[in-house]
Parts: sequence; C-alpha cells; structure tokens
Amino acid sequence: MNGRPRIAAGAPQRRVRLWFALLCAATLLVCVASLLFGAGAIGPLDSLDTLIRALSGHTSDDNAWFTIESLRAPRTAIGVLVGAALAVAGALLQAVTRNPLAEPGLLGVSGGATFAVAIAIALGADAASLRVPVAQFGALAGCVAVLAASRVRGAGDDPVRLVLAGAVLSGLLYALTSLILLFDERTADEIRFWVVGSFAGRRPDDVIALLPGLAVAAVVVVGIARPLAALALGEHVASGLGHRPRLVRLLVVLAVALLVGSATAIAGPIAFIGLVAPFVARGLAGPDVRTTLWLCLPIGAVLTLGADVVSRLVVRPSELPLGVLTALIGAPVLVAVVRSRRLPTL
Amino acid sequence: MTTASEHARPALAPAGSWRLPLGSARSGRSLLLDKRACVANLLLAAALWAACVASLCLGEVSITPRAAIAGLFGYGDFMDVFVVQELRWTRLLAGVLSGGAFALAGCLMQTLARNRLATPGIIGLDNGATAFAVASVLGVGLGIAPPAMALVGASVATAIAFGLAGGIGTQGYRFLVAGIGVGAAFDAITRLMLARSAIDAANAAYPWTVGSLNGVGALALNMLAIGLVIGLIGAAALARALGVVRFSEGVAQGLGIRVAHIRLGALVLSVGLTALAVAVAGPVGLIALIGPELARHLSSRRGVPLMGATLAGALLMVVADLAGRVLFSPIEIPVGLISTVVGAPVLLWILLRPGHKIGV
Repeated sequence: MNGRPRIAAGAPQRRVRLWFALLCAATLLVCVASLLFGAGAIGPLDSLDTLIRALSGHTSDDNAWFTIESLRAPRTAIGVLVGAALAVAGALLQAVTRNPLAEPGLLGVSGGATFAVAIAIALGADAASLRVPVAQFGALAGCVAVLAASRVRGAGDDPVRLVLAGAVLSGLLYALTSLILLFDERTADEIRFWVVGSFAGRRPDDVIALLPGLAVAAVVVVGIARPLAALALGEHVASGLGHRPRLVRLLVVLAVALLVGSATAIAGPIAFIGLVAPFVARGLAGPDVRTTLWLCLPIGAVLTLGADVVSRLVVRPSELPLGVLTALIGAPVLVAVVRSRRLPTL
Repeated sequence: MTTASEHARPALAPAGSWRLPLGSARSGRSLLLDKRACVANLLLAAALWAACVASLCLGEVSITPRAAIAGLFGYGDFMDVFVVQELRWTRLLAGVLSGGAFALAGCLMQTLARNRLATPGIIGLDNGATAFAVASVLGVGLGIAPPAMALVGASVATAIAFGLAGGIGTQGYRFLVAGIGVGAAFDAITRLMLARSAIDAANAAYPWTVGSLNGVGALALNMLAIGLVIGLIGAAALARALGVVRFSEGVAQGLGIRVAHIRLGALVLSVGLTALAVAVAGPVGLIALIGPELARHLSSRRGVPLMGATLAGALLMVVADLAGRVLFSPIEIPVGLISTVVGAPVLLWILLRPGHKIGV
C-alpha cells in the first residue's frame, strides 16, 4: 500500500506471477476443505475417504457421496464464483471512482440488487431464473446512483464523504427491503434466508443461471483493463492516449452491475469482500489496476469460500450468516484504510 | 438559551432577547432569554403535547381525547381505562423519554466533536450498546441487567471510536467512517450471538436489533427516566460553556473555559443517555441526527439548542411510533425502520448538497 511507482518491469512481474500461483494453490486447498467440512454428521475423514474413492472411479450411492456431490459441490462453486465476482467488482469500482473505499456492498450497489429482488418477488415473480436479471438491474441502478453522487461538486473529491453517503443509501435500501418483508409474508418466507447472505441450499441449476452474466462481464473486463489503467492517470491523460473516458466508465458500470447482480442474486448481499480483496491485492502488487484485477480473482475466492467454511464450523450444527464473518474481517480493514495518514489515491 | 447577565446595573437586553430580572432590582441578577429559542421551544412542546394526546387516542381502538385523558387518571369506561393505562401509556412514556434522550445525546456529541454528523448512532455507539444488551439477554455476559450492560457496551464503543479518532480528529468524515466500521463489527457480533443462541432466547433478544417500543421493561424505563433528568440538569449546567466550545479551542480557552473538562462531561452525558435509550427502544440512531437538526432550524444560531433538541427528539419518536402503529393498521412497523426511511434522505441531503459545512 506504500504507493511507490514500480517502473522496473522484470522483478515485480515475476513476483506478481509467483503470488498469483500461490493464491491459486490456496484456492484449491480451500475448495478441498469446503468439500470435506460441513455442519452435518459427515465428518472430514469420511468425506476424504469418499472423495478419494470417487476420484479413483468408485462412485457409491451412500450418504456421504450424496452430501458431497449435491450439497457441498455446488456450494463450493458458488463460493469461488461469488468471491471472485465481488472482488473484481470492488477493484473496478475503486478504479473508476479513484477511491480506495468504494465497495459495492458499502455503497448501495448490493442494496439496490436486494431491493429490486424483494420488489420483484412481492409483485408476484417467483421464478428463480428471473432473479438474476432483476438483481442485475437493481445493481445497475445502485451503480448509477453512486456515480451520480461522486459527480456532485465537493462530494466526489472526498473519498470518505462518498462512502458515508453510500452507507446511508445502503441503510435506506435495506430498511425499505425490510418494509416489503413486513407487508408480504410470502416474500418474507422466500427471501428471509437469502437476505442475510448465505450459500446454503443452492442447486446446480442456480449456478448455471449465473454463467452468462459472468461471462459477459469477464469479456468486458478484459477489454477495458488497459483504458482503465490509463484513466487512473487522470481523464486528460486517458483522452490523450486515445481512450474515451465516458465509454470506459459506462462499460465499468455495466460490468460491476453484472458481477454484483449475479453474486447478490445467488448469495444475498455480502459486504466487504470488494473492499478487502483489492486492498490485499494492491498490498501485494502495487496500484496498477491490471495486476490488481488478476490477483483479485483468487483472493476473493479464498476469502469468501474460507469464510463460508468457517461459518459452517463455528456454530455447529447450525450455520452462521456469511455476512457476519465478512464484516468481522472487513470492518478492521475499513478502519485501517480510513486512518492511513494519506488516503492512497488510485 | 438562558444566560445569567452579570452586569451590576440593569442593562438593556440585546436585540432578539428578553431580560427577566431575578430577585430585587438592586441585586442586579437577571436572566437573558433568546426570543426565537423560547418561541421554538414553546412550539415544539405544544406539538409534542398534541402528538402525545393523539398517540393515546389512536390505534386499533380509537378513543376520544377527553375519554383518553380521563382514562389515564382511572375515570370513565373500563375498556378505555385498560387500553390507555395498560397498553398505550407505557409505550408513550418510552417514546417520549427515549426520543428525548437520543436527541439530547446527539446534540451534545455533535457539539463536542464539532461535527454535525457525529451522532452516537453513526459512530457505532448504538450497535455497541445493542451487542452488550443482547449478550445480557442471552446470558452470554455476567447476568447483569440489560440497561447496565448497554452502558458498558456504549462506553466500549465510544472508547474505540474516539481512540481511533486520535490522529485524524473528530471534525472530518474520516472519524465518521471509522465509526461506521466499529458499528459494523459490533453488529456482526450481535448477529453472531443471535445465531448461536437457542430460538426462544433469540426471539427475546430480537426487538433489540430492529428498534421497537414493544414490550418495554419497567426497570429500563425507570433508569431512562432518572438518566434523562440527570442528563437535562447536566446539559443545562454545561449549556453556556458548550456554546463557546463550538468555536475554536483557542477562543474557548481565552474566555476561561476548561475545554477538556467540558468535553469530557458532555461525552459522559451523551454516552449514558444513548445507552439508556438503547436499552428501552433499541438502536433508533437517526433520531439523534434529525432531532437536533430540526431544533437548529427552528431556533436561533446563537446557542446550542439542547432543550429544543430534546423536545424535537421526543416529538419525532412519538410521531414515528404513532405512524408505525396507525398507517398500515394490522401490521405494525417498528419505529427503527420508520426513522431510517425518513432520516436517511435527510442525512443524504445534508451530505450531498453543494457548499455545505459539517461544523456545528
């Protein structure tokens, strides 16, 4: 986080690659842990035994294999996808607002997605497939609100003030969501467990419904990484280099809405991942947004899935809402960033 | 609001205020009352009175104002007496006391931090008090009564928030966002405890987390009443010095005010009032922001509107609770939700309007 410009290309590049490899290995480890540990009666040793037998071609129909295949495997996939999506969304939003505190969960983007889904269900939509586009639309509205607020004279120059406004907007959206829940019992039953943020009880179909949105977002992100890095040097520099800042900003907003909307649709609102992962990535590799985005993928996955595994183990035999753990990790990071003597500019 | 003039001879009152002589004319003591603040306080008190009567009358069963007030003293129809005395009176009392305490605490903290947005709710005190109170309800703690545990929690949260302010000061936005972090951590701890506990205990603790005036305990209410009386006396004693502390530290010291003592006193009062109010109503933090804001708009800019803020907070709380009960009648909306839905836009407007200042 010391913000020293890294001009020499050779050594840092190698270091970033090393970190990336290490983090991918860590992601694999966490995935295995996620398959082995659970809140139920199937212990890690049983699971390991079943898993090894399955890998060597002996599938069985017993309870352990069912638990692993249809409960823990989709959950693991969701953890990896959601974590990576939220982390990349955070890095993008931070780059485009040039604000190290811009986090989709804190700024009201996740809140917008949640509110939109609550309205849709209250109005009678119950198809789970509809939930993803609705959440993406809500996230888009939240993103636009954030960017509009950051363009307000005075507020945009002060990163901390923008975060404060976002936190207030977020609180307002959650209060409105709670109001809808109060009025409509059917809605409340359908989304009560979703609104606290959890990966439990998702089906493989739900995971597949996410893939189109995430794929489009990935293509967009690959396309705008370079212009975004130029935009970090200032609007004039970016225009001088032949990029169009407005177009870049528009595409970033779309990508963030797709990523956060998909993640929220399946896992509920999860705060702080989009703050912590880019924070760690910048600490490892410096401020260049291109390397940050790459490193965010495994960091977000490790953080989110790791938090999920811990949330299964802490209060056995029940489970903890995932947002509790991410808040416990994220709040100290938030305080640390705010307190750093000079807010690092992006 | 009130200032003892120390002129030896009777002097003319400054523009915009009344001078009330105290004792004999020779003693020369007199009371200086700000006209606009007086009118504002009278207006707020009248509105509060009207809201209280409405709150006693309206609900599932509507009663005429005359019958409601008679019922309060035990006269009239048996049913009316029961509804007013058993159901609505405690609730009204809880609303008035907690609203006043929240807003007075907010006004004190805004003044001592010299930051209009630095209310106890925003910098995490409410969440700290809630976490400790829930721990007490669930039996995680030492079995101390919830109000006392709320006091401990609010003190801990204050110590953390102001400890973190060391080096960044209390006047900017960083103080507030650090406080949001503290609040988020305490909120997570509350939810952690609720998730770990048995369902019955969790249900008993649930009202703490949304902010509601349902089922207020007598102990908490009595402690709040005593606390609010002490808070008002303390605030009146500090009022004059606080009016000067608003300006820079140098000015206050030059006028012979011990700034550190005044600040500490205001902080202790603010923490105590917030904790006791949270023990009654749960975290309804935005009252602490809107109450003083309303009072400041109504009264003059000369002093710190401590009395006005208390009245405005009580008024807002009673109206919010009444609206939550009456608007969508069979469904009751918790007062915490209403205050957020109404208060958040106000807060956003303060934050985002161009050319604003957050100094008090």
